[in-house]
Amino acid sequence: MLNLVLLALPVLLLGAALALALRSNRASAAVAISTQALATALVVVGVTSLLRGAPALELIWPWPPPIDQIAFRLDALGAFFLVWSLPMTLAGTVYAVGYLKPYFSKGRHGGPHYALLNMISVSFILIYSAQNALVFLLGWEIAAVAAWLLVIWDYKNQKIRFAGFNYLVSTHVGLFVLVAAFMLLHSKTDSMDFASFGSFLSQRTPARSTIYLLLAASFAIKSAFFPFHTWLPRAHSAAPAHVSALMSGVIHKAGLFAFLRFTLLMGRPDEWMGWSVLGFGAVSAFFGVLYTSTQRDLKRLLGYSSTENVGIVAMGFGVGYLGWSWGIPALAVAGFAGGLFHLLNHALFKCLLFYAAGAVYRATHTIDIERLGGLAKRMPKTTWLFLVGALSISALPPLNGFISELVIYTGLLSGAAPSASSNVALVAAAAVLSFVGAVSALSMTRAFGVAFLGARRDAGVHTGEDPPRTMLAPMVLHALFAVMVGLVPELGVWLIRATVALVPLQTDLALVLAPLSSVVWASRALAVALLVAGIIGALRGERARRSVTWGCGYTGGSPRMQYTGSAFTEQFARIFESFLPSVRRERIPTELFPAAPGHVSTHHADAVERRMYEVLGQGEDLVSHISDRIPEQPRFAFAAGLVALFALGAWIFGAGQP
Amino acid sequence: MMIARWMNLMALLLMPLLLTGIIGRVKSLWAGRRGPPILQPTYDVIRLLRKSSVYSSTTTPLFRIAPWVFLVTALGSGVVTPLLGAEPLRSFPFDFVWFAYVWALGRVAIMLAGLDTGSSFEGMGVAREATFSTLLEPALFLVLGALCLSSGAHTLGEALAPHLRSGDAWIVVRTLAVITLFIVLQVETARMPVDDPSTHLELTMVHEVMVLDHSGPELAAIQYGSAVKLHVGAAVVATLLNPWAGASGPLPAVVNLALSALIAILIGTIESLIARLRLRTVPKYIAVALASAAVALLATAWRDGGAR
Repeated sequence: MLNLVLLALPVLLLGAALALALRSNRASAAVAISTQALATALVVVGVTSLLRGAPALELIWPWPPPIDQIAFRLDALGAFFLVWSLPMTLAGTVYAVGYLKPYFSKGRHGGPHYALLNMISVSFILIYSAQNALVFLLGWEIAAVAAWLLVIWDYKNQKIRFAGFNYLVSTHVGLFVLVAAFMLLHSKTDSMDFASFGSFLSQRTPARSTIYLLLAASFAIKSAFFPFHTWLPRAHSAAPAHVSALMSGVIHKAGLFAFLRFTLLMGRPDEWMGWSVLGFGAVSAFFGVLYTSTQRDLKRLLGYSSTENVGIVAMGFGVGYLGWSWGIPALAVAGFAGGLFHLLNHALFKCLLFYAAGAVYRATHTIDIERLGGLAKRMPKTTWLFLVGALSISALPPLNGFISELVIYTGLLSGAAPSASSNVALVAAAAVLSFVGAVSALSMTRAFGVAFLGARRDAGVHTGEDPPRTMLAPMVLHALFAVMVGLVPELGVWLIRATVALVPLQTDLALVLAPLSSVVWASRALAVALLVAGIIGALRGERARRSVTWGCGYTGGSPRMQYTGSAFTEQFARIFESFLPSVRRERIPTELFPAAPGHVSTHHADAVERRMYEVLGQGEDLVSHISDRIPEQPRFAFAAGLVALFALGAWIFGAGQP
Repeated sequence: MMIARWMNLMALLLMPLLLTGIIGRVKSLWAGRRGPPILQPTYDVIRLLRKSSVYSSTTTPLFRIAPWVFLVTALGSGVVTPLLGAEPLRSFPFDFVWFAYVWALGRVAIMLAGLDTGSSFEGMGVAREATFSTLLEPALFLVLGALCLSSGAHTLGEALAPHLRSGDAWIVVRTLAVITLFIVLQVETARMPVDDPSTHLELTMVHEVMVLDHSGPELAAIQYGSAVKLHVGAAVVATLLNPWAGASGPLPAVVNLALSALIAILIGTIESLIARLRLRTVPKYIAVALASAAVALLATAWRDGGAR
């Protein structure tokens, strides 16, 4: 069966070569799509037995020294990732046919682009089935470089080249960290094989923690966790829509996969690892979602929302780690299952949202929500599809995002932790998750409401129609799955069951999730009620009277008077001012008869990015400045003293425990 | 058992408009007027249902669907709430997560309908509602989590009813929970001092301004849905206060209904005596709820520590 999966490699490579060689765009697309479809079929057939719970498949290729042998090992974890990554890449390739059409009609050759999409699939097979660090790194690097080349499709635009370069540098910083971890492991085990890595990592040596931190940092950069996310919004806003979708929904999941792969190799984690993963995830989700609230660029917004969602996934994994380290199977299973489920759901709705944003771009040539408005009337299909994505990313019932967050909540709110203070910390994490959900709802309401509803804001933006079928079909497919997984979560549970069973704790996922069946039934009832509500609402529109929007007596209203996206989050951004720095640029005319027009513009900058550049530029300056300020400003000294006191107290308290 | 179910359903459907009637009556009494009959909100809803609607030409079908979605979600949250102090209509593990997210869905539906009109007033209301809800949601989860931890329960009904495991901090947790949930109730149902439901001065409002363009049966759905939310929220606080909650027999139901009515009277009184907060201070008011919920959560740990 593993042969079948690996057979997909030459198929995809052949497809890539042919796509490059063929001169006609149509032929390149056909070759790429058909080879990917064949590869997908091979992989899906190859991995279904693993998802049913069959033991892992292994294959060893002898290789000339110094490598000696290359080992492949596909277990349920890899199978789970493969089974949706490849079909989604295929859907993205189909979308590309429609999305890139205007470029093709200008004479651009799409062959390399299709070939790169094939290479992305190749990298998935390598990463998800590797049992050898070199193969893993090969796949990792293919994915990174292919993604970079895909991002800079519009390479003549300097901004896009910069965004691509930014991504390339960031991803390689992550690669260096990863290589460092592998080198450390190699020096300890004298092997590049994951199995020997595993046997080393499962012993509690001092090197274990160091390696764990290096690996976690590298995977965090790959998956764009806060504060390593700065490359992501740039890259996502620069890339073609399907590339953003694939990067955000599928490719960056490799970081989470690798994290789980090494978790399984490492065996039972320490408690501090669990808390750090949970905390790191919570911080990432919190900041990611804060940044979504102020973005004007729809794709940037979705990019930040990726940081948020990987944070939510990590919160699930953190719960899983804690449950595992405490030896509480129900908690561990709820955490890992919730994280895995959310990861799948994120891939489903994030791709959908990016595709819809691409359709908007195709139709209007802008994704600045402040210039859009009223798209619902010109692009009804895209509107409804985006709405499905927006509701499910806000974790609202009865869609899929709700179910996976619910599974994470069941872990956080279970009260199963061994000590009261741990329980309190878990509930506090649940509160963070609820905040994240609410802000996500705010951001998506804002983005959807401002861009799609109301009236057209900017007369200069010409609004086209719904996109062609090649673009609609992948969107419809993703939306269907989002709804289906929401109403029949058993589908998703079936996919993750075997993976969760890899965690060596004697418990069945079905038992842990059994209490959720009532919630699912409630969701289904709600879905039926919503359907009835929708029918009532839709039918009532037929013969009703129409009038203008009530302007409170003012009849000269214009679309320019609508609430803008910036106005929408003004109050919210003010509350979180310290995390959402607002940048104001203005040139106000002073003379009585100004020669040049004045202007005012405000936007919200990424605090981390600004800080990063600042710190890089004037690092020493900054440190000396802070240390100078402490004696002058009593409140800083006071805060520092409090923190120190708290740390000391925690240390003494911790030391007192047996 | 069957009778309890039916009673719950009756309470879910009939109590809401009575409560808003009581609030109206209390407010007029404070103002020195005789005021409208208690059934006035019911008459209003019936009248609205008979009227035909006018839709703005800017709107899409979403605008017409949203009020019904809102109504469905309000009723959906009532299903898991112990309206009569004991067994709710349906109770399942983690139904309080469902409760919170169903409310969120209704809120999002109304917010989208508001944005659909393209009116700047409605946009203003939507923005405010969205902002407040982001602060409210963590308060709700903190307090529900605290109640779950202190009772060891996983359903809304059990977490709210007084439990057998009592400790030192038991009273602290529940008192703070009442404070938090009362503020949640005030914000979610657009009551003073957060929002003024009686004025129609658009610039100062949150909830009312979002539904400016709704008319006829859609407005009826929204008014009834808001009343259901008010009742559900009041019942949550009432169950927390009800010393007989969770017991069998008619006693908890009677006490719960009386407490709900008392809460309505309290809301009416607050609304008559206190001015609306400035919008900038509303987040601070919600922060009170957050802080008291956080203290309640910490108190659960203290209680366990004391027991050890």
